[in-house]
Amino acid sequence: MEFTTQLLYPLDQVLLAVMIFSIMFGMGASLTVDDFKTVLRYPRGILIGFLSQFGLMPFFAYLLAVYFNLPPAYAIALILIGCLPGGTTSNMFAYFARGSVALSIAMTTASTILALLMMPFLLEFYTAEFTREISAEMQAAGTGGEFVIPTSNIIGSLVLVLLPVLMGMFLRAKSRVWAKTAEDTAGFMGIIVILFLIVTAFVRHTGLLLQTPMEIYISALLVGLLGFLFGYWMSWAFGLSPIFQRAISLETGIQNGPIAFAIILLSFVDPVESQMLWLAILYSTFIVITSSFITLYYRRVGKFDHEVYKNTSIHNRLFGEEYVTGYPDGFLPARISNDPSQGSTPAQKRG
Amino acid sequence: MENRIVAQNLAELYREAANRYGSLPAFATRKKELEWEPVSFEELYNRGLNLATGLIEMGVEARDHVGLFGDNRFEWILADYGVQLCGAADVPRGRDITDAELVYIINHAEISIAFVETKVLLDRILELRSEFAGLKEIILMDPKADAPEGVHTLGNVVDHGEALRKYGNTRAEERIADIQSDDLFTLIYTSGTTGKPKGVMLTHSNMMSQVKGIPVDLNCTDRVLSILPVWHIFERVFEMFTITCGVCTYYSNIRHLADDLKNVEPTFMGSAPRLWESLYQKILKKVSDSHPMRQLLFHTAYFLSRQYKSSQFFLSGRDLKLEPFSKIKRALLAPFHAVRWLAVLPFYGFFNVAVLEPVRMSAGGSLKATVSGGGALPSEIDKFFNFIGIPVLEGYGMTETAPVIAVRREENLVIGTVGPPMEDTEVRIADMESGEVLYPNNKYPDEGRGLKGEILVKGPQVMKGYYRNPEQTIKTIQDGWLKTGDLGMITYNDCLKILGRSKATIVLTSGENLEPEPIEMRLTQSPYIEHCMVVGQDKKQIGALIVPDIEGFRKKGIDPDSMHDLAGDPEVRKIIQEEIKKMISVANGYKRFELIQDFRLLPQNFSTGEELTSLFKMKRHVIQDKYADLIEDIYNPEPAQVA
Repeated sequence: MEFTTQLLYPLDQVLLAVMIFSIMFGMGASLTVDDFKTVLRYPRGILIGFLSQFGLMPFFAYLLAVYFNLPPAYAIALILIGCLPGGTTSNMFAYFARGSVALSIAMTTASTILALLMMPFLLEFYTAEFTREISAEMQAAGTGGEFVIPTSNIIGSLVLVLLPVLMGMFLRAKSRVWAKTAEDTAGFMGIIVILFLIVTAFVRHTGLLLQTPMEIYISALLVGLLGFLFGYWMSWAFGLSPIFQRAISLETGIQNGPIAFAIILLSFVDPVESQMLWLAILYSTFIVITSSFITLYYRRVGKFDHEVYKNTSIHNRLFGEEYVTGYPDGFLPARISNDPSQGSTPAQKRG
Repeated sequence: MENRIVAQNLAELYREAANRYGSLPAFATRKKELEWEPVSFEELYNRGLNLATGLIEMGVEARDHVGLFGDNRFEWILADYGVQLCGAADVPRGRDITDAELVYIINHAEISIAFVETKVLLDRILELRSEFAGLKEIILMDPKADAPEGVHTLGNVVDHGEALRKYGNTRAEERIADIQSDDLFTLIYTSGTTGKPKGVMLTHSNMMSQVKGIPVDLNCTDRVLSILPVWHIFERVFEMFTITCGVCTYYSNIRHLADDLKNVEPTFMGSAPRLWESLYQKILKKVSDSHPMRQLLFHTAYFLSRQYKSSQFFLSGRDLKLEPFSKIKRALLAPFHAVRWLAVLPFYGFFNVAVLEPVRMSAGGSLKATVSGGGALPSEIDKFFNFIGIPVLEGYGMTETAPVIAVRREENLVIGTVGPPMEDTEVRIADMESGEVLYPNNKYPDEGRGLKGEILVKGPQVMKGYYRNPEQTIKTIQDGWLKTGDLGMITYNDCLKILGRSKATIVLTSGENLEPEPIEMRLTQSPYIEHCMVVGQDKKQIGALIVPDIEGFRKKGIDPDSMHDLAGDPEVRKIIQEEIKKMISVANGYKRFELIQDFRLLPQNFSTGEELTSLFKMKRHVIQDKYADLIEDIYNPEPAQVA
């Protein structure tokens, strides 16, 4: 499948840039220095989150690309999405899924910083064979040259998208009220622009929807779903309490889409660029839908353990950190009662 | 409901709660914003047993009446534990009790031992001491206050009891075993029409039926914030309910409510309409103060929620049905609602998450449900909270029914009604004049649904009677049916709707009760006032409708052509305003909430048979209907009336 027209017009590109800027700015406006301290308070959760975000996700993306035998540009886009850090949307979903919002924010913060190191390395590692394929195609077509992943560009664009985050954090430190307004406005603008882009892309390129092979849809859909599933199972296997499982699951599946757009726009050129953007758009659309359903499901199953966690942590808030809530025997299921903190932090000392 | 402890009496409930919930917090007292002191079910029970033993030693007999004068605090509930665990009943009242009431209640209830909360109240009682011969012992509750000689402190009585129990004193346990279900657990004095308070006798089985029937499910992970006075039966029932469920009650107050909502994040609370009114205004103010972007978002969200919920209520049969409904009409409307429901759903979902959730946070964010009682909740406020996603379960009751007669269920929430009657409770609607039962009655279509009349109640919550007042008891309870004195009807989906009061008592939104008749009688003593009716049911303050006395004004030299001209004369208005100010004042012994804030002059006199009965008593509901627009005008005045 070839792109006969450009996927995005110049106006769209400007809009996209505005969206990326405002979303990342809003993300910064929601962060405080305390959030970085929280990272240190959840070392275990962060580590498991790290493994699932930078271990599982890129690996699944690679497996899907190989299994479905995706065209190389799509394969690279899929792997790129797999390597992304988490975004602020996952924090909102974690809240409604009755997961640990603190862990979600801490994971977003940690992964965004770590992405500077991990993304170039992971991309290099997983995309080697696909870049060779593209180079071979280019040779065959006679356009010459060799296709390489522009590592320095990627790092450059990552740094570039982190700038508005820093600016947002600066605003937050200066004025809470303004930061809150900026966060909300940015969030709202982000939604409007992304809706506009998706709708126009779909309207202009209805043909594209039909041309796109089923494997591409499936892999764009599955990469997020596998992230949710395995993030949940892995944290379960490590014995984390349910509220952390839900946070890690959502954090793993929901990636920071705007960063993907920024990297693709700044580091790649057509025809590869359009194909990669198309996959990123598909992923962004699917993930909103799937994570809504997953959130509704988590919300239902997590009602009880979240209430226990909430009550326990409010007891600690009001009665002191040392207070131990002693639920009647048999009231808590084994998984929660075996966790000495009952999901709350800091861990309670048991009498 | 499987979470609840089922017990025969309060003492047994307290014991079972200690066994089952052990070290879980039962009550928490605020020290600072983020520093609260919990007391566990076990500890409370043990201290209660010690106190009971101490009380028995002081001479409290089973079924004695023990005075309990004070407001919400941990010591209050401890005193209640002590009284229940020695098989006695308490006679509670708040610190705002007047001297006259103190004298009347202590003598009428034959109180010989009383708990007194503060030093100030204690001094008042000591001063009045010569007026109550029977009062022998006083126990001061405030641990920080110094007790003068001859007055016990709560701590001392508990310590004494503890020492006795150490040596094997088990008299408290013997008393518990001896409690009968129709023994009183409390004797609550309400202010009556004639000014003499009436002692409502409530039994253990009254309370147990309430605690069993409250249609809300709570467990040990829930938190209840308490702000209403605990000596009020409405609040008390919730505190007993939380004990059956192992829920911790956090004592808050109006001043700290906003902070406490945020810090305690209550999952459930009971409260009076005034709280919802002030929370409603706070939310609206916060919205109008915010960024225009966020205002727009809020109004969009509220609009969507209203569309969504209205259709949802219609489809699930929870809309207000005051008239018989045709099945065909409903069937025709159903597809419209189904389409609207579906179309709005995704947008509602998004805005509910992004906009309404932060609004809900101002009420703590965790409220599963709330019960409003003690007065009617204005319908716009009722709708507002239900639309933004805080289910308000409005209830209806009175002290005489311990108190709940009917309450909305979460799954059957019909806005505008007070829900179906509690389980095991029968409700009748009877004609005001003839006493004929209108509902349930096969003579009428739909068994009498939709007909207005006085509400009668029969059920396990109905009081034993008024203490030492058989006359009033017989007047109020006939064949087991308690006459509430309120007007109501049964809707076509079997919920009770309250329409007003046939008794004259006015209940303000603040929960304060006042009797209009003494005020009216005082005012009609003025030469310028012929008739007067005080209004203000479910309003913030009272107002009055006044028929000026044309003869009185003629004597003063104002000679109008008609009543209509008289009512329109600004000079007349000024004179009457001064009369009211002079007569109904704090200096003359009226309470602040009894002061008339505004009034309207009526353009024609009352006539016998219409506004007045043959005995010249005002037919309040007739006058209310006839002058509804004038009453409305008192509370929402039209701007700039040119006289």
